Amino acid sequence: MFLTKSEEKALAGESGEALEIAYRVLVAIGKISNAKRLIPIKWAHVSGVSYLTIGEYGLDFLKKISSTRGTKFRVFTTVNPCGMDIENWDSLDIPADYADKQLKIISYYEKLGIANSFTCVPFQSYKVPRRGTSVAWAESSAAIYANSILGLRTNRESAVSALASALTGKTVYSDLHIPRNRSPTKNIRVDLKRRNGDRLAGSVDYGVLGYFAGKNVPGVIGFQGQKFDLGMAEAKALCAAIGTTGSSGMFVLNSKERLETIDFTKKEYEEVFSELSQSGEGEAVVFGCPQMTIEELYELSRMLAGKHFLKKCFVFCSSKMYEISRTRGYAQVIEGAGATFVRDACADFTPLISALNVDSVETDSCKGAYYMHKVHGVNISLKDTKTLIEENAA
Amino acid sequence: MKTLKIRAIVDGKSKGEIVYSNLPIAFLQGVDPEKGTVSDPKSPIYDQPFAGKILIFPNAVGSSVGAYVIYRLSKNHKAPKAIVNQTTDITTASGCAIAGIPLFDLPENDISELSQAKEISLDAGKSELIIEK
Repeated sequence: MFLTKSEEKALAGESGEALEIAYRVLVAIGKISNAKRLIPIKWAHVSGVSYLTIGEYGLDFLKKISSTRGTKFRVFTTVNPCGMDIENWDSLDIPADYADKQLKIISYYEKLGIANSFTCVPFQSYKVPRRGTSVAWAESSAAIYANSILGLRTNRESAVSALASALTGKTVYSDLHIPRNRSPTKNIRVDLKRRNGDRLAGSVDYGVLGYFAGKNVPGVIGFQGQKFDLGMAEAKALCAAIGTTGSSGMFVLNSKERLETIDFTKKEYEEVFSELSQSGEGEAVVFGCPQMTIEELYELSRMLAGKHFLKKCFVFCSSKMYEISRTRGYAQVIEGAGATFVRDACADFTPLISALNVDSVETDSCKGAYYMHKVHGVNISLKDTKTLIEENAA
Repeated sequence: MKTLKIRAIVDGKSKGEIVYSNLPIAFLQGVDPEKGTVSDPKSPIYDQPFAGKILIFPNAVGSSVGAYVIYRLSKNHKAPKAIVNQTTDITTASGCAIAGIPLFDLPENDISELSQAKEISLDAGKSELIIEK
């Protein structure tokens, strides 16, 4: 891979240890992707914020990077959700020692210079650059969304590679940054003959499809076989589930390419659904994996008008979306129905779920189902948003 | 003794016993960084310690935060001394780059050629993998 003179110097450590490590990461990634050079990016989105995921050694690593003298992010940078509501962790039973570590991690990122974010749906909080712009986004669900829906170009970055891109303002010119690599490699043909008039509809259906597609197609996925009505909620669910099971970084709807084709029928649907949903009922309800968008908060408030939850319910969103939903009156309705907002946190990687002391959780997210079962050992009851409200609020 | 061509992703040299998995590894939630083992019961190397050995698997899958798990393994002294992939992915590459773990992949051979090996040596300078036993 070609490096400019100043990039070579930074790799040799002449611009400090943080940049040396950052360039070492970019060079390793450049090698695996046969990149010829580095390119500038407009936006880095960094994952690895919750103490529950990065732990003591991620914390140590960030401390080391952020304490290297003069080190700052060189490009607009947002970060993933953390492990708790930053303003309200105490009343949500987050252990104090966990909160202490979490606040340290946040302080390291803030020292490096981040936009107010803590979100896995960064495209909702800030103006999205024009189609075709190269960015470096970690958080698989956001990266897949960026490529497939927003027309941005990004590879599925890791926590560390996105950090390296934030520090250098660069990424390797490879894979999904190159237009000819953005066509489907395999098709998934949807042929359900069931449910909601034989078509996929709603977040759970699209999550189940994504879970299957991610498992079966490592490259760009082509979907075909039905008309796909993707609102932001369905698109988000599809992207998140693809990211959960595989390495694909992009999909294309209504693929016309003649390629190897895998059928997604009722049988595959049922297999995925029963893998993710172990229970008929749950003791608490979780919304917002990925975090809820303003449209979803509006929908939730509309469905909850005049109702009250019969069990504990948590709604995950960024503090920015929470503020907007307060201004518009949605948050008051949702809170009035007895739900608790958890701001700036990730539903999967927060100690909150374990602290609930429940055996089962109901959710409308396939990604959430996978991780909450795995991380917190709770059984999952997977239901679409409307059913969750019909059954759990009166 | 058999020699295979390797591509060095993170430079280095290594020689030692191998731990071989024909299935991908998910570092986040699929690896126990305190024990230095794969914690997914479906894995063929479930619960086998890989610390100080050469870990061989096709590629990593799952969450990108897995890179910090590799760093964490190394800080815990539970990391493999080197890693060989079929085709290295971004999570493994970035994790090994910050942890300083020599990392290689196999552009010309199938990883299954290593399934029966016991001990191998790796040299980034020579782009060579030698099956010693």
